[in-house]
Amino acid sequence: MSTSSISRRSLLLGALSLAACAPGGTAAPTPSRLAAPSVTSSSPKGEITIWNRSGDLFKVFDAAIGKFRAAYPDVKVNHLSVDIGAKLANTLITGTDVPDGSFWDDANIGSQAEHLYDLTDLIAPYREQTAPYKLSVNTVEGRIYGVPWDLDPGLLWYREDLLAEASIDPASLTTYDDLLVASQKLKERDPKARPIHLDKNPFLGQLWLEMLANQQGTSMTDAQGRLRLDSEEYRRIFTWIQKAAKDKLVTHTPYLEPADLASIENGQQAFIPWAIWWSFAPQQLLKQTKGKWRPMPLPAWTPGGARSGVMGGSSFIIPAKAKNPQLAWLLYEFLCFKEPGIAAVYGPNSVYPGGLSTSIPSYLPALDPEKPLFKDDMGLWKVATEAARNIPPAAPIPAWWAKSVDYLGNNLQLLIEGKLSPDDVIAESSKKIQRNLIDRS
Amino acid sequence: MSSRPRFWQYVVLILLAAVFLYPIWWALSSSFKPAADIISDPLSLSGPTLDNYRAMFADVPIGTGFANTALVLLVKGAMTMFFCPLAGYAFAKYRFPGKDLLFGLVLLTLMLPTLVLIIPLLLEMSALNWVNTYQALILPGSVDAFSIFWMRQTIAAIPDELLDAGRVDGASEFAIFARVVVPVIRPGLAALAVLTTMNIYNDFVWPVVAVNDEAHQTLQVVLATLAQDITANRIGADFATVWGELLAAGSIALLPLLIIFILLQRHFINGILAGSVKG
Amino acid sequence: MRKAPYLFIAPFLIVFAAFGAYPLAYAFQLSFTRWHGAGQARWVGLDNYLFLLTNPEFWESLANSAVMWLLVVPVQIVAGLAAAVLLANARLKLKSFFRVAFIAPFVTPLVAMAQVWIVIFDQDYGLVNYVLNADIGWLTSTTWSKPTLALLFLWKTTGFAIIILLAGLQAVPAQVYEAAALDGASRSRQFWSITMPLVRRSIAFLVVIQTLAVFQMFAEPFVVTEGGPYGSTTTAGLYLYDHILASDLGTGAANSFLLVLLVFVLSVVSVRLLRAKDE
Repeated sequence: MSTSSISRRSLLLGALSLAACAPGGTAAPTPSRLAAPSVTSSSPKGEITIWNRSGDLFKVFDAAIGKFRAAYPDVKVNHLSVDIGAKLANTLITGTDVPDGSFWDDANIGSQAEHLYDLTDLIAPYREQTAPYKLSVNTVEGRIYGVPWDLDPGLLWYREDLLAEASIDPASLTTYDDLLVASQKLKERDPKARPIHLDKNPFLGQLWLEMLANQQGTSMTDAQGRLRLDSEEYRRIFTWIQKAAKDKLVTHTPYLEPADLASIENGQQAFIPWAIWWSFAPQQLLKQTKGKWRPMPLPAWTPGGARSGVMGGSSFIIPAKAKNPQLAWLLYEFLCFKEPGIAAVYGPNSVYPGGLSTSIPSYLPALDPEKPLFKDDMGLWKVATEAARNIPPAAPIPAWWAKSVDYLGNNLQLLIEGKLSPDDVIAESSKKIQRNLIDRS
Repeated sequence: MSSRPRFWQYVVLILLAAVFLYPIWWALSSSFKPAADIISDPLSLSGPTLDNYRAMFADVPIGTGFANTALVLLVKGAMTMFFCPLAGYAFAKYRFPGKDLLFGLVLLTLMLPTLVLIIPLLLEMSALNWVNTYQALILPGSVDAFSIFWMRQTIAAIPDELLDAGRVDGASEFAIFARVVVPVIRPGLAALAVLTTMNIYNDFVWPVVAVNDEAHQTLQVVLATLAQDITANRIGADFATVWGELLAAGSIALLPLLIIFILLQRHFINGILAGSVKG
Repeated sequence: MRKAPYLFIAPFLIVFAAFGAYPLAYAFQLSFTRWHGAGQARWVGLDNYLFLLTNPEFWESLANSAVMWLLVVPVQIVAGLAAAVLLANARLKLKSFFRVAFIAPFVTPLVAMAQVWIVIFDQDYGLVNYVLNADIGWLTSTTWSKPTLALLFLWKTTGFAIIILLAGLQAVPAQVYEAAALDGASRSRQFWSITMPLVRRSIAFLVVIQTLAVFQMFAEPFVVTEGGPYGSTTTAGLYLYDHILASDLGTGAANSFLLVLLVFVLSVVSVRLLRAKDE
């Protein structure tokens, strides 16, 4: 799962310790560039420490690292499960006990580039075959600082049975306006229906908003860090939300919390525009409506427009103070760009017998719609890989992104509740983000 | 005023006591209930089961947390218990140049929000290469201003004649402190011990910042991390299990302090009653 | 004799110089710069202070704290005084049980109890809504978030207030009341003309201590609500932390000093007000 849970709480320590370089002390060093490992010795040797997030994903990677060790028997890997959100930023700056490589949310990479190895030269051979979105979020001033790992395309999850009963052909849902029409239809059949899920968690809501923006080729800031909320694309999204809410077509609940689950199970929700990782719900959580959910590409904002956008995602970084950066690169190259490595992560394993289906690789050659890496009974692989080819590139995520949830994320909630207009949301959020975040950075 | 308490007065006091005790009782008793029952029937008592505790122990290094907290408590607590009464004694019973200025410093320190110092302190730890060390947990914030202030108030109440009697015997200044002052302020010291234990045990913001490796985490840091992990992972997770683990961790953290407090309560309360608010 | 007081204070001074004065001076200098934790700090003069003083969010955070103050301090003084008066009765039975019950919450670890609060006040499955058979967003609606947090603070600290007030009450010799009763003073008359003036000092002490605590309040909203919903529990202390979170360290430092100034003024004012009534 790629739900990054950046909140006030989880950032406590990470952000606090950004402080740990004396001001005016050592000037920011020019980033160290990592060169390809010298492959003079036939078999690379050494020991690396790798940090990963805890939970099921750790077990998946642990097994995959086993495969890596089979290919590189002389590299010893200390694979640790760590609270990365709280600890990595601290560690990078204080330079104490730095790992050789770590998993990290894409949203953090832009702000920490100076503590990371410049991986541009190493990634060059794979550049053409990597999803453009993932390259762009890992790029700072033209240099790449993270090994792109998962891609999290947005999809439209829908209730196959309800649509069939109302004789709505999913294929006809090509624009967001079509979605409103179909929802109206569902509501006429069942007055209790509030078919479209809009999320009540401000953080996830904003992440979701950026998916809709990415779909239209934009994002909160451009490559120079200038705010671009005041645009046709964002206005289009907000106006659509306002209409959907006003027409009472919306279930406004927090992501997969009890209230949300209840309204999913009782048939109130029929459309969930969300990232691929919502697959977790039909596969593991839902009981009554298990087997009734199907994924399809998102509707487009304009006829013929892109049918997907990205929501969340992570990459791997190699700290500039790593002791064995080249060996860490070998590991990440294996996991992200080599067929056996990718298969080891996404294919069937002891944790997920059908394979890891909450994201897909960002390495395009692995995304053959006909050759699924994971098994599922919803046609997810095919839909997701096709949607993935459609995703527009983006800009690096600004360092203050999570903090802007206090403004944009909260205002989005007020829009859904009918307390702010689209213009209010744009004006209010822009003003505050500019003043409190951009101007202060 | 000491007429016999009326019946309604007992009712009021008992109700109030119930309000104060119930959340603690609820947390403790619920932590031994099967997780599902915590949600479905929060008032009932069922079980008992240790499942919540088993799950919690599997998830977090709470043993390490206890060990580190114990170590910090021992060293930092000893420093406070020794140096603060001594400084309080100096401020209460001596006249010396610069006294007002120095006591002003103590009062100033009382007014500072902890957060003001955190960034510079962290920079300092980094410069000293103290990040992830016990001294970073122990030294900043030891010999604290509140304890000195408190001790000064307590010691000020001791009649000077008592001390002068000691001086006549030719005892050294420290011997007077140890032999005359300490026995008199024993209740105050008991109160200080409880307060200090509580403050160190519950300290949360600084340890979270000063330490980022598992080996040095204190109990509160482990707890905070657990809460954070649980909130992060509760997306899709089974609510009941999550709550069961939280309550188990919370209960296990509050028990030691509660037991210490109940054992020392008489001294603690008498100490506050005796020593407080003279100034 | 000459050297003794300095020696006794030395440990405090050493710790203060190393981990108090130095970081404080550093933070003060930081408050005039723009700095994000890496690279060169830039001197910006009073810009950080001006930014805060002209920023509605800064004032909102103070307003949030002011509301919390109103929800906490008057309630605590009134309820605490009532409980203390009942407890002061020499013929009260179960006295030590009541004292322990009231002060037990004071020794519980905040992080643990904050989590218990989250569970108890959960909108969907919490104990409180279960008992009331209600669907109130205690922690998720802007109407209730402040009172619910204030309740946690009250629950945790009122016991301490009761003991402090009790200390003040017990300083009143019983003969004073007896004399008043002989003069035919009514019970309420006795309370206002004898009890109140004598506990005024304790009240002043409490008001100052709790004003400091409320305006510096950080851990409660940090753990329970993270400042939400819609910033309704972003207290002055949490807002200060937000700058640190955004690694806007200069502004964070400036905010700290504004807060210290405010707390100082508030303490002085409350002491004056309570003293003025004496005359």
